[in-house]
Amino acid sequence: MGIQEVQSQNGTPAYQKKKNAGRAEGFQESFLQNLKNRKQEKQANTAAETKQAVTDMQTEVKAKTEKVSMGRRIGTTPDIRMNAAATQEALQAVEVRHMSYEDSDYVRIAVTEGYTLKGKLLRNMDMAGKKNRNAVNGSGEEENGGAEALQVYVEAKYEDGRLEAYQVDTAKVSAGTEHMIERFALETLEEA
Amino acid sequence: MEQEWSYLVEEYRAMLYRIAFSNMKNRADAEDAVQEAFLRYMKDEKPIQNKEHEKAWLIRTTIHICLDILKSGWYQRTVPWNESFENTAKNIYLPYQVRDDETLEAVLRLPVHYRNPIYLFYYEDYSIHEIAGILNEKEGTIKTRLRRGREEVKKILTEGRP
Repeated sequence: MGIQEVQSQNGTPAYQKKKNAGRAEGFQESFLQNLKNRKQEKQANTAAETKQAVTDMQTEVKAKTEKVSMGRRIGTTPDIRMNAAATQEALQAVEVRHMSYEDSDYVRIAVTEGYTLKGKLLRNMDMAGKKNRNAVNGSGEEENGGAEALQVYVEAKYEDGRLEAYQVDTAKVSAGTEHMIERFALETLEEA
Repeated sequence: MEQEWSYLVEEYRAMLYRIAFSNMKNRADAEDAVQEAFLRYMKDEKPIQNKEHEKAWLIRTTIHICLDILKSGWYQRTVPWNESFENTAKNIYLPYQVRDDETLEAVLRLPVHYRNPIYLFYYEDYSIHEIAGILNEKEGTIKTRLRRGREEVKKILTEGRP
């Protein structure tokens, strides 16, 4: 006699695999829970990565800004302290004019320090272009008026071949400044 | 032609005199060296390319003439009687005011391979590139001589010896 399956009237097996069925349900729940957990974990990771990327970008931008500001720290020698805030306002890097000693109002030749400085007081004629531009822009006379004679052009040549030029607004330079270029600009003003 | 020469002499005479003086350290020999440089320029048949080349040629020739005179046996056996070697800085007649004659004196006491680059760089305001062209040296060599020459100047100023 072979095995004969006993069936109920509605066609379902007379015995149910209750144990296996329960297992399957448990597995399904566990599986769904795992999926849910994994999804949450992934979202958390993504958020952390985004945050890290933003932080990295901010750090990079900060580093670049510092690098640029380092590039602007000009005319500094190791033994000279400088007031960075004052320098940014008073000093402005400009294009080198290759001014000769004869054309300068004041010259400093520092052989033992390895540099030369040439200074020239910018007269009205030198400032005319800037004044006109400001007048066109409408910012004009009040900004420039009265202070235009206090601008000094300074050209620095260093032993390693570097050539740098600055325009110094002497009105913004403090009298006790220790910055080499600013101090030289004040001396030029006295000499001119 | 005469106008051209007079223009040339007027343009470069003072500068060449200063360079010659920095080497010879007395007025008469410096003037002789400059005259000789102009004569050689007139006799020279090589084409001068431009104004910068012309200036570099004259400076180079003046320095060579000075060095030739200094090396000559006749010069080494003689001493100028009317000028002392002290206070040579006063007689160099720079076209601008130099506050520190002591340093210029120290520069003039340097050996020739340091003196000429330092004098041209600081007192005649030439760039390293131009000095390299004038002295027929590499730019790196000029930079090295400027740095070492500066150390020598410090030694002269502090210890009184080159």
